[in-house]
Amino acid sequence: MNIARTKIPRDLLILLGIYGGFAILPAFLSGNPAMMGILIMVMIWAVVAGHWDLIMGYAGVFTFGNVAIFVIGAYASGILTINYGISPWLGLLAGGVIAAGVGILISLPCLRLKGAYIALLTFALHMILEPFLKGGVGKAIGTGGALGLLNIPPLSIGGYTFSSLNLVPWFYVTLGISLASLFIIYKIIHSHWGLAFLAVRDSEPLAKSAGIDDYRYKVIVFGVTSFFTGLAGALYAHYIGVLSTRVLGLDLFLLLMVMQVVGGMGRFPGALLGAIIVTFADEGLRAAGVYRLVIFGAMVVAIVVLVPQGIMGAILREKGEGRGPRAPKLKLPPMVRSTRSGKKAGRRENRLEVTYEHS
Amino acid sequence: MNEITEVIISGLSSGSAYAMMAVGMSLVYGVSKVFNFAYGSFYTMGGYLAWIFLGGLLGSSIGYPATFAIVITALFFIGMGTEKFAIRPLRARRDWEMLAVMSTLGLALCLDNLYLALFGPFRKSIPPLFEGSVHIAGTTVAMQNVAIAAIALSVIAGLWFFLNRTKQGLAVQAVAQDMTGAQIVGIDKDKVFAYTFALACVLVGFGGMLLAPKYLVSHLAGWNVLVKAWVITAFGGMGSVTGAVYAAFILGMVEAFVGWQLGLTWTLLVLFAILIGIFIVRPQGLRGTWG
Repeated sequence: MNIARTKIPRDLLILLGIYGGFAILPAFLSGNPAMMGILIMVMIWAVVAGHWDLIMGYAGVFTFGNVAIFVIGAYASGILTINYGISPWLGLLAGGVIAAGVGILISLPCLRLKGAYIALLTFALHMILEPFLKGGVGKAIGTGGALGLLNIPPLSIGGYTFSSLNLVPWFYVTLGISLASLFIIYKIIHSHWGLAFLAVRDSEPLAKSAGIDDYRYKVIVFGVTSFFTGLAGALYAHYIGVLSTRVLGLDLFLLLMVMQVVGGMGRFPGALLGAIIVTFADEGLRAAGVYRLVIFGAMVVAIVVLVPQGIMGAILREKGEGRGPRAPKLKLPPMVRSTRSGKKAGRRENRLEVTYEHS
Repeated sequence: MNEITEVIISGLSSGSAYAMMAVGMSLVYGVSKVFNFAYGSFYTMGGYLAWIFLGGLLGSSIGYPATFAIVITALFFIGMGTEKFAIRPLRARRDWEMLAVMSTLGLALCLDNLYLALFGPFRKSIPPLFEGSVHIAGTTVAMQNVAIAAIALSVIAGLWFFLNRTKQGLAVQAVAQDMTGAQIVGIDKDKVFAYTFALACVLVGFGGMLLAPKYLVSHLAGWNVLVKAWVITAFGGMGSVTGAVYAAFILGMVEAFVGWQLGLTWTLLVLFAILIGIFIVRPQGLRGTWG
C-alpha cells in the first residue's frame, strides 16, 4: 500500500465514506426516533473516543481524564446557558474552551511524568470531579449538587428551536461537529506532529537526540483534544437537556475505552468504527440487564488478548506480533536541519537531516 | 491528649493494612511492570469470599481459620489464572504495558458488575474477627483494630522473610533487578511473574477480608483501595517494597489526622495534594528510581 501515490488516503476515505453514509440515513430513518438517537450518540462518542485515541494511541500519553474533560465541558456549557443566559451555540464554544483550559492545566504537570503516573494523576481528576461537582464549591458555581442540571436549553437557529420531537436537525448539527472533530485528528496525525509522536513512541532517545521537542506538541495536542472533548460534552448536555454526575460512572469510561480497543488503538479512524459497533452492541445488550457490563468487561479482556490491533489493524492487514500503529508513508520536509557554518561551510556542508519514516 | 492517641492508633492501624495491600502492588510493578487495574476488585473478592464462608450465603459459618485458608488458596489460584490468561499473552507485543492496563481495567469492570449481579447492591456485613477492646496508653481501642494491625504487620514480616530468605523470593528480586541476568542463571521469569501476581492478589484480598468487618463489603469499595494503593505506591516509589511500607504509614497517619481535623471527605483530596507535591519535588517517590 502506498498512500503517497493514491489520491485520497485510505483512512480519510473510510472516514468520509462513513460520514457520507450517515448523512443520507435520515432519508430512511427519520420516522424512527430510537434509531436516530442511537446514531447521534454514535457521532458524539466518536468524537470523545477518537480524541482520546489521539492523545493515548498516537501521542502515547496515558491519560484517563478524558471523561472528566467531557463532563467539564458539559457542565460549563450547561451552567453558562442556564445561569447567565448565553446562547447555547456560544455555550458549545465556551464548553470547549474551558475544557481546553483545564486540559492544558493538567497536561503541564502530567507530561513531566511517565506512563502509569500520568494515568494515576488523570484518573485522580476523574475520581475527585464527582465529589467536587456535588459538594459545596460545585453548588456555589451552579452545578446543582447531587440533583445536577435539569433544564439545559436546546440549540436554536433564528426562530427555530431544536427539540426531541424532530431529531433530524440535531442529527445534522452533530454530524457536522463530529466530522470536523475527526477531520482535525486526521490533519494532526498526518502532519509532522503525528510523525514526531510516532518517532518518540518508537524510540524516545533517538527522537530526542534528533531534536524532537515532543513536550510542546503534546501540550498543544492535549489542548486540542480537550477542546473537542469538551465541545462534544457541551453538545451532549444541550441534546439530552439534563446532566448529572452519573456520566462520570465507570460504565461510560469503560465503553469509551472499548470503542478504542475494538477499533484499534492508534489506528485512525478505528475509534469511529469502534463507536459505531460498541454503541449498537450496548443497545443490543440492554436486554442482558445487570450482566451487560459483565459481558462488556469480559469482552475487553478477550479483545485485548486476542486481537489487540483491533478492526482497523485487520483492515490495514497488519501481520505479526509486536507491530505498533503504522505511520503513513509521506514525504515530509526534514524536522531537524542543522547546518554548520564556519570556515569549511563553503567546501563541505555538514548537514544533519532527519526524516522519519516507518516501514 | 486522649483524642490524639486515638487518632495515632487509628492511623497506625489503617497504615498497616494499607502497607500490606500497597506492598503487593509495588512488588508486581517492580518485578513485571504490570499495573493491575483490577487490584481493587481482588480486594472486594476477598471480602465477598469471606462473607460467603462466614455464613453470608449458607447461613452457617465455618469459622475464621478455615475461611482464611480457603480464601487465600482461592485468591492465589485466581491470581495465577488472571496472569496467565489476561496478561501473559500480551507480553510479546511492544505496547503491552498499555494493553495490560486495558485488559485489567476490563477485568475490573467485569468482576465488579459480576459481584453486583450475584450479590446485589446492598452492603454485606461479616462478624468481627475479635470482640472486645483493650486499653492502650490511656485510651480504649477496639480489639479488632489491634488485630488488623498485628496480622497485617506479621504478613509484611512474612513477605520480607519470603523475599530475602527463600529461593523463590530471591528469584523474584533477581528478576526485578535484571531480567536477562535472571534468565541466564536459569530463573523461569514467567513463573516468577505468575506467582508475584498471585501473591499480590492474595495480599490485597486478605486485606479485603481483614477490613470487611470494619468497613462492610460493597461491590464498589475496590476503587477507593485501588486509588489509595496507587497513591502509596507512587509516593513510596514504584517497585520499592520498603518505600511502600513507609509511605503507607505516613499516609495512614495523614489520613487519620485530616479525617479528625477536617472531616473524612477531605482525606482523598489531601492525599492527592500530597501526591502532586511529591511529583513536583521528587517524582520517583521516596525510594524509587525512574525506569
